[in-house]
Amino acid sequence: MSLARALHAELLKLKRTLAFRVVFVLPLLIALLQFLVILRTKTYARGFNLWQTHPTNSFQIWAVFMMPLLIALVTALLNGIEHSDKQWKHLFALPVPRYAMYFAKLILAQGLILTSTLVLAVSTAIVGVAGTYLRPELANAGPVPYVWLAKHAALVWLASWLIIAIHTWISMRWSGFPIALGAGIGGTFFALFAAGASLGKYYPWLLPMNIFIEGRFATALLLGIGGGIVAALLGCFEFTRRDVM
Amino acid sequence: MTKTNYLIETRGLTRRFGSQLAVDDLDLHVPAAGVYGFLGPNGAGKTTAIRMLLGLIRPNDGEVRLFGQSLTGNHQSLMRRVGALVESPSLYPHLTGRENLEVTRRLLGADRNLIELALATVKLTKDADRRVREYSLGMRQRLGLALALLNQPELLILDEPTNGLDPAGIHEMRDLISRLPEEFGVTVFLSSHLLGEVEQIATHIGIINEGHLLFQGTLGELQSKQQTLLTVGVKQVDAATEFLANSGWSVERSIDDLLNISTKTPDDAARINKLLVDRGLEVFHLAMSQRSLEDIFLSLTNGAGRSG
Repeated sequence: MSLARALHAELLKLKRTLAFRVVFVLPLLIALLQFLVILRTKTYARGFNLWQTHPTNSFQIWAVFMMPLLIALVTALLNGIEHSDKQWKHLFALPVPRYAMYFAKLILAQGLILTSTLVLAVSTAIVGVAGTYLRPELANAGPVPYVWLAKHAALVWLASWLIIAIHTWISMRWSGFPIALGAGIGGTFFALFAAGASLGKYYPWLLPMNIFIEGRFATALLLGIGGGIVAALLGCFEFTRRDVM
Repeated sequence: MTKTNYLIETRGLTRRFGSQLAVDDLDLHVPAAGVYGFLGPNGAGKTTAIRMLLGLIRPNDGEVRLFGQSLTGNHQSLMRRVGALVESPSLYPHLTGRENLEVTRRLLGADRNLIELALATVKLTKDADRRVREYSLGMRQRLGLALALLNQPELLILDEPTNGLDPAGIHEMRDLISRLPEEFGVTVFLSSHLLGEVEQIATHIGIINEGHLLFQGTLGELQSKQQTLLTVGVKQVDAATEFLANSGWSVERSIDDLLNISTKTPDDAARINKLLVDRGLEVFHLAMSQRSLEDIFLSLTNGAGRSG
């Protein structure tokens, strides 16, 4: 009940915020990029099937780059509004359990990232269909792979739970926007180096990308969900015991 | 007064920050009804004490009891009966005044019509649909008070609610706070570093300095501490200071080399004059005056409560 009330309050706080807008802007940027690639490609090989490459490309760009940055940005914005006017002292003096406030923030962040990933799936489908109309040589691509898109949107999102939990805690713990965003940029930057290493299998910021890499799928999913739950519980433990200065 | 009548009661409340003792063995007794002025200079430990009353920080030692129950283990049920404004109001500038209240209303699960009531109480109904970033400091402070009043609390805890306001804003806020006990039956616990700000509305006073509670009682009890001040001019000022201090008088030497002595009766003036003259010290000035509450406050806080 307290959690439902806290979530209801969080939804109102989103009004007129950048956090709500970036959720739509970032996946649409990838869709636009993909649309331009489809249009500008000079020739396609005979028998080329757009649906075999276009959705994977979109989702991989999303998973390795845009999604981790979006998570850092969204969690920093969601919690930044609590730091700016020292809202924590008001919130913690209310008869609402702290864990409810913590999980409301976490669930909202997860919800926004899921929404954004679904916007990517839908825009990927729309761009693909538009491509088959605008480029006659792609007309025989067949039906839109709705199941593949829905399944991979869900998998990538589940694998991102650990990053979401880490960033939720960081942005709640420290008030500075640069700290939260710096952690996201740093995490994503090192992912480029970790991708080829064997330990990259376990690197949190690579888990969404690992969904597409053979031999890393199960670890990505298990570590994403399991690690996300453990990190969320640890973050909540610290949050509920914190002194509010 | 029995202990159960205290809305706020602290026992040996202590909080350290590293090696610094912010609040030391604080025993507050705040009775129901009226306004309790919690006074002390900046850095005296008021905000730390208030944060412990609200469960925002934990004490190193001691206990907070609200409405006769320990805060530990009862935080949520007790906070349902408390409204608070700690230092500057916590507001979302991108939302309107009404939306800010709605956020807290949703968290509390409170009735929708309480928002209109809170807005009317702080006279913000007309500006309720403007974004808070367009509000003046006084309006923000009043909205902070509306947030604290939203759940119709029995106890209102306000930490320096007039800080940063202009004289008109201070007057408006003071007027608003003074009406609350009578109109809404709420007990107000109000902190300030200025005696003048609370002495017009407070029924009870607590004075804290360097973490220690120096005085606690009714305003009348504080006023009864008002003493007569005897100012004496003596040619041999060093010898007179030492002699009177050794004779048990509380003597302060002013910058113009006059001696200020706290006395209880006008007879003391004659007694002191005779003592000095008999000692062979030449008295050239004797004047009596009443010490104000401000003087008592400054003397209790060693001058740290000076307004500026």
